[in-house]
Amino acid sequence: MTSLWLAWRTTKRYRVRAVLAVVGVAVIGALLFDMLLLSRGLLASFADLLNSGGFDVRIVGSEGMPIVRLPIAGSTRLANELRALPEVRDVVLIRIERATLWSNERTSRPVTLVGTTQASGGPYTIVRGDDLPRDSSFDRCPILVSRHLAASLGVEPGSSVKISVNPDGVRSALPAVSCRVTGVVNFFFASAGENSVATTMTALQQALSEPAVDADLILAASQPATGPAAAVRAIHRVRPDLRAYSNEDVVALFNQNGFAYFRQISFVLSSLTTVFAFLLVATLLTVSVNQRLGEIAALRALGISRGRIASILLWESALLVGGGALLALPLGGLLALGLDHLLRQMPGLPERLHFFVFQWRAVATHAALFGVTAAAAAAYPMWLTARLPIAATLRREVVG
Amino acid sequence: MSRWFRVTAIALLSAAALAHASDSPVDAQAPGVLLSRQLAARAHVSIGDTVTFAADPEGTRRVTLRVAGIYEPTPDPMRFTAQRLEAHLHLPDLVALVADGADPAAREAVDAINVKLTDPGDAARFGAELAARAPGVAVTPTSRARDDDPFAVLDRFHVAISAVTVIGATAFLLALMVIRAEERRDTVAILRLIGISRRSLLAAVAIEGLLIAVVGAIFGVLTAFAAEGLVNRVFQARYDTALVFLRVTPSIALRSVAIALPLGVAAGIGASWPLLRGEILSLFRR
Repeated sequence: MTSLWLAWRTTKRYRVRAVLAVVGVAVIGALLFDMLLLSRGLLASFADLLNSGGFDVRIVGSEGMPIVRLPIAGSTRLANELRALPEVRDVVLIRIERATLWSNERTSRPVTLVGTTQASGGPYTIVRGDDLPRDSSFDRCPILVSRHLAASLGVEPGSSVKISVNPDGVRSALPAVSCRVTGVVNFFFASAGENSVATTMTALQQALSEPAVDADLILAASQPATGPAAAVRAIHRVRPDLRAYSNEDVVALFNQNGFAYFRQISFVLSSLTTVFAFLLVATLLTVSVNQRLGEIAALRALGISRGRIASILLWESALLVGGGALLALPLGGLLALGLDHLLRQMPGLPERLHFFVFQWRAVATHAALFGVTAAAAAAYPMWLTARLPIAATLRREVVG
Repeated sequence: MSRWFRVTAIALLSAAALAHASDSPVDAQAPGVLLSRQLAARAHVSIGDTVTFAADPEGTRRVTLRVAGIYEPTPDPMRFTAQRLEAHLHLPDLVALVADGADPAAREAVDAINVKLTDPGDAARFGAELAARAPGVAVTPTSRARDDDPFAVLDRFHVAISAVTVIGATAFLLALMVIRAEERRDTVAILRLIGISRRSLLAAVAIEGLLIAVVGAIFGVLTAFAAEGLVNRVFQARYDTALVFLRVTPSIALRSVAIALPLGVAAGIGASWPLLRGEILSLFRR
């Protein structure tokens, strides 16, 4: 009879306490698994979001992405210079303004208006209608509206609307321009309830009544052969006054600043849950061993070695912790869905951003932590049985 | 030796009076400036020192000011990782430093105006009226609605995590109580055999669970109180902020005890219930 089989028989004999221990480990393990998912989930999701647009370098006029954006002087000329760089494959200009969209004389919504030189395949998925046209000579102000805005105003592809821009920090009452909805889209970077509109840079220029509009964000795609770091260096040589960040830089900046809270809570709760699981199993095993001292002494008297007894206890610990840890994975997955839904109610978060993202690395860390926990939890009971005086214990247990 | 720092300069009309009040007659010619504690420490300056502020890295537009005071920035949970290298200047000093000389209107421009309403409930009406009178001006209330507050979401997240922890802890407690009940199987059998009623035994088990829960809850609350200072000191030192990260309030302590007590009693009764409910002979394994 192997040690594993003996451990299994013991676990079955005390099934109520074993089930409760497994349930306890599973619940705590689910929380640990979720904290491991959280420890890098938001970063992984944010990196995925940044990479989804196909551009890996972001250029802004001010320090600290992306809180304050200053218009980049001479951005059209700069875009042409950047396109000529061997490290750069593509360049897109973006300008973001606050605006008001009127679906009719009386109904309006404040919107985030994004002007872009990217004609198609922008950071959105088309739900209905078409993308922005490549040639704007037929359509002076084509716009894409977010699903939320389309539903709230009842506009569809083909609808005519009016847009008036309200530039930041400028006291103005610009005239409204007539625009046509070409498509209803899901913007990657928009929050669930955000009213977003995308249009061409030419149309935005017209709405701003300016002869030329400077971009406040320039996106660049690096050549695959050279990579984003080389593109950032090349851009810095062209315009040292601007800040160019690769997607990795933006994620690192986000990790340093915006993600600190979740990194801390993930670390604290991962540590606490591991300690908690250790205490749970160690206490249960110790109490259980104390109850079975006579039985263990009898086994030793029959000739079963110390090593074998220790091995049985180690397997008992592994069965409790392993069973709980295995159950913790699906339980943690379900819990992560609930917690993610809860955290994504935070205002202003992009709809596609998630806090809990499945990663095999988290599963491996979870398994490693529980492996160590199982071994550590069994250590004291093993030590207790190893130094058990057989005759004295038998006498005490039988006579007592 | 001169040191250069990138600083967030803030000008408040209300701060001007404070700075003037601390001006000494000796160097009253240099305007006063208030520096954040972090900036003063990084720049190795103290009250009375003279510092130079420039609007550009080349220092072409500069102003020399005297440090009138050092202040602790109001802790901001949204920016606790940011280095608070800040200075409060008199509004005219800041305008003189940064305003574009070619634009006469620049001397009249400010980034924001804080308004305290007589009736805070009028915020929406005031905002609408101001937006109508001054197109392009964005009016934002400083207080957030509960649904629009990220800390309300974090609060719910913490409650959810607490609930999961309570479930795990309950399973742990129940397992221990089951072991304890098993240990006393013979004792319970004998007590029942000599005529002690189930009700009395149940009460004894409930009281025991209650006592364990009370001791556990008090230990937990005391541990939390002890950890409060340690956690705050560690994180305040880590992020160089006066922000309070952890606060164990009496209501939180009471809530913990209120949850622990019924759980302890229920775990005690639940674990012993099979022994109290079964036939006496079955307790002797007959």
